[in-house]
Amino acid sequence: MTQPQRPGHEVDPKLLEILVCPLTKAPLSYDRARQELISRAAKLAFPIRDGIPIMLADEARRLTETELNG
Amino acid sequence: MTHLKDGDHERLVSAQFSPQAEAYVASAVHAQGADLDALAQMMAGRGAARVLDLGCGGGHVSFTVAPHVAQVVAYDLSDRMLEAVAGEAQRRGLSNIETAWGVAEELPFPDASFDFVVSRFSAHHWRDLSAGLTQARRVLKPNGRAIFMDVVAPPNDVLDTFLQTIELLRDPSHARDFAVSEWVERAQAAGLACQTVTEGRLRLEFSSWIARINTPDLHVAAIRSLEELATRDVRAHFEIEPDGSFTLDTATLVFVPV
Repeated sequence: MTQPQRPGHEVDPKLLEILVCPLTKAPLSYDRARQELISRAAKLAFPIRDGIPIMLADEARRLTETELNG
Repeated sequence: MTHLKDGDHERLVSAQFSPQAEAYVASAVHAQGADLDALAQMMAGRGAARVLDLGCGGGHVSFTVAPHVAQVVAYDLSDRMLEAVAGEAQRRGLSNIETAWGVAEELPFPDASFDFVVSRFSAHHWRDLSAGLTQARRVLKPNGRAIFMDVVAPPNDVLDTFLQTIELLRDPSHARDFAVSEWVERAQAAGLACQTVTEGRLRLEFSSWIARINTPDLHVAAIRSLEELATRDVRAHFEIEPDGSFTLDTATLVFVPV
């Protein structure tokens, strides 16, 4: 089987409905442009790669103060 | 794989499985089984159900249940495995399978969000079975079912040690094949009551068993040596064959939240 390469492939909206922050279990907001799921409570942005949300704290980007206050 | 911290157990599991993703999607040992047939029967008539395939690996639980239910989330800590599962789902026309990447001990789903949590041949890799069971219980709806299928340890210390040892030699990311009694006890502590246990036996053909996960030659030789030195009881229990193939114990455990 070949690896499906789907650049820009978007995460399924039905999946977004049930994803929460793995650390705080608080809701996430979807940053479509950056392909990130934002947990304000954990101050983390979880990346989405090829439509697959990566729900690991070690892989997440720490939100800046500007982003948190924005 | 550049993800997960060096030296972490999860990193090791992911590194072991990612290069072998297609082998697990194609593996007959994983793709077939009376346990999958029974699972399909349990899902019949549950057209509105949402299912979590916890530690989906090659995705065989997802492919089995998807035709019967509304939504399946295939969840694993190997990104290559998830890509392979997404590709195979697309090939099979199963549009209700979604994939998410994470660990069993920290599930990114709300409380009471799944009708079924199903996990097959995964828990023996987890860093912390009790934490994984607690999370499974948390995301399960009050009238839901948690279904765990895995290799189980025989209720005898000598047989148990032999099994864990060849498992670890074969795959350094092996954590533990739990005995049925351990499953029941840990699940109970996590708020899951065991409803049924269905035991089975699974024959593993030696060459494909080691090829699937790229076992180093040094470890293969050690496994063969242990098999040759095994006592009569061990040889009999695992039905060790001249080429190293053997048969082990499996179980499907169905739990309800309490």
